[in-house]
Amino acid sequence: MSSKRLVATAVVSSAALLLSACGSGGPGGGDGEFTDGKVTLAVLNDQSGVYKDLSGPNSVKAVEMAVADFQEKYGDDAVVEEVEVVSADHQNKPDIANTKAQELYDREGADIILDVPTSSAALAVATQAAEQQKLYINIGAGTTELTNGQCNKYTFHWAYDTYQLAQTTGTAIAEAGGTDWQIIYPDYAFGQDMDKSFTAAVEGAGGTVGDHIATPFPNDNFTTFLTKAASAEPDVIGAMQAGGDLINLVKQYNEGGYADDGIDLAVGLMFITDIHSLGVEAFEGVQFAEAWYWNLDEENRAWADRFLDETGTRPSFAHAANYSAALQYLEAVQAEGTDDADTVVGHLEGKEIDDVFLKNGKVRAEDHRVIHDVYLAKVKSPDAVEEEWDYEEIVSTIPAEDAFMPLEDSSCSMG
Amino acid sequence: MSAPTQTTARGAAASSPDAAPRGFLGRSTRRWLLLAAGLVLALVLPWVIYPPVAMDIAAWALFAVALDLLLGYAGLLSFGHAAFWGGSAYVAGLTAVHWGLPFPLAVLVGAVFAMALAWPIGMLSVRRSGIYFAMVTLAFAQMLFFVVNQWRGLTGGENGLQGVPAGFFGVEAVEREAFWFYYAALPMIIGGMWLAWRVVHSPFGRVLVATRDNPARARALGYDVDRYRVMVFVISAGLAGVAGGLFAISHGFVSLQEVAWQTSGKVVLITVLGGIGTLWGAIVGAVVIVILEDQLASSGFDGIGIITGSVFIIVVLLFRRGVWGTVADAVARRTGRRPADEAVGAADGEDGR
Repeated sequence: MSSKRLVATAVVSSAALLLSACGSGGPGGGDGEFTDGKVTLAVLNDQSGVYKDLSGPNSVKAVEMAVADFQEKYGDDAVVEEVEVVSADHQNKPDIANTKAQELYDREGADIILDVPTSSAALAVATQAAEQQKLYINIGAGTTELTNGQCNKYTFHWAYDTYQLAQTTGTAIAEAGGTDWQIIYPDYAFGQDMDKSFTAAVEGAGGTVGDHIATPFPNDNFTTFLTKAASAEPDVIGAMQAGGDLINLVKQYNEGGYADDGIDLAVGLMFITDIHSLGVEAFEGVQFAEAWYWNLDEENRAWADRFLDETGTRPSFAHAANYSAALQYLEAVQAEGTDDADTVVGHLEGKEIDDVFLKNGKVRAEDHRVIHDVYLAKVKSPDAVEEEWDYEEIVSTIPAEDAFMPLEDSSCSMG
Repeated sequence: MSAPTQTTARGAAASSPDAAPRGFLGRSTRRWLLLAAGLVLALVLPWVIYPPVAMDIAAWALFAVALDLLLGYAGLLSFGHAAFWGGSAYVAGLTAVHWGLPFPLAVLVGAVFAMALAWPIGMLSVRRSGIYFAMVTLAFAQMLFFVVNQWRGLTGGENGLQGVPAGFFGVEAVEREAFWFYYAALPMIIGGMWLAWRVVHSPFGRVLVATRDNPARARALGYDVDRYRVMVFVISAGLAGVAGGLFAISHGFVSLQEVAWQTSGKVVLITVLGGIGTLWGAIVGAVVIVILEDQLASSGFDGIGIITGSVFIIVVLLFRRGVWGTVADAVARRTGRRPADEAVGAADGEDGR
């Protein structure tokens, strides 16, 4: 995809329109049938904004790795010879995600769309998947709506969600003795949801939540909120902020020296890329939920080494999840001998999977939530870091069955 | 040698109206030709480019025309038009979801809501002009943004309002296919543009230009300047509402993006890029920006903002009158007419030096 080609396209199409020349362009491209003799995987994510490092272009690389592994494994026995990987940048805008998803499905012949961070964009793509009756595996977005009210037959949620974040961090810490909580959350939908889920998780594990402190969003001064939370002398302060707000909050927590008073900081949503960009010093001791960690065991590490060779960086959970989703999709196609969406969905439903990303994984047929073991991680101290990206210590493993929303609580009904 | 006037746009109505006998026939013919070309373009658009993108272009074009009406002809830069585009999008979406209204009706309800919203906002903001007007409108739009964000039960908060149906009296093709939806929506887009054109070429439009160029004098002549401004503000909001409602329904959902300030910024960008005070320019701007964004999204290039930003800077620095204004000037020069005789009006360079 040279930029030359795209500029040329833009110029030509604008010129054509301006002059209102006859429509010789016409709708081109394939019509996405398996009869094309190929399978097309599309990665739709943020390639230029805040989630670029978390997922972005390297997720496309991860999917290409999955294709290479698939072709190597089956060689001439592969049911389909040509597997194509395409990608598009949705810039975290739901409108663009919606149009691009539509275009990928019916113009580029995509059989499946992967990733799609940002909740509103993810939900828009889920609707497209249902309408076009093609597969969609979400990795980057955290909304539980994908497997509740807005669930559908063609949409799967592969990596994490907000319920699981709360369940992991809240329950694990409370069970480990951190029972007395104060929660600081940004006062908008995401923060309110996280506050509720964390409270439920902590109380379910026998803990108590004192104050629920709402903060403006966005905000950069958290000192008064931290002081207020600390004045109750809790075991743990739970912070539900994300992105830039989180960074400020963590800095002010460190400056306040609360860790020395025995008050731990637990974070609702945090990624390894946050630690990498701000430095391990800033987050030292912070506990958070991790869906996958590259340095957990030999298997992960071997894959991470390959990823390092390909991209020059260590993988986040999103990269591994994209790899896993692409690989399992191709395995399903191989097993069924077709890329017919209904057949592949039928194959995946209820399937138990163990791969580099999914440990004790299972695709729940009822709501298409993919459950797997997840982890409570703690950021290492700078002295303990042995190499670049070696930031996390896995405190505990939460078994797949306990980490995700129980089926009976899900409001999903597959129409 | 007259001092340069600082009002940026010298619109169609700024030049002497249909009176000039020498250019009359030529101009009229050209206007009809343009109109025919525009209609043909509108009709073939979904054949040439991907239909959902064609629909985006049409919606943004009407939105930009609505803004141009305000910016180009009344000289008021609104930086809060997302409130009307997005407000209407939510109302249209909600009526379609809860009452199952067919989409043209839902869009009209949305547009009426936008106008009702614009009335008090207009009353309060037209008392100021220039940067203050821009800031006041931005402030109102941000208020709406926070209301929409917090009112989760109704709007879905940051998840957006999903699953908006495009009902069209049971005509399946329109309800399911973006291609046919485009043609079903096109009459509303063209109707909106026609309305803007009528406003500009009416006595009301002439007064508007007078209030832009010399409000004190317009007031001295007995025109209630603020009232004219509020009226054009409300009309502009209504057209923006039609565009926003169609945009939302064509996508099948409404998101916070629709009421975010970036949307207000984008429509200003489109209008300025195309050339303000021309109406046609707004359409050209929408074609260029929407296609550019669409192409860049699949290009694998990670600096979309750099490209659109650079295009904007280049246009503003080199083609101050926007794409349309510059092209129209060139055409006028080639045909040997003084630009002042042309429909596009006097160039800044002409009366400025």
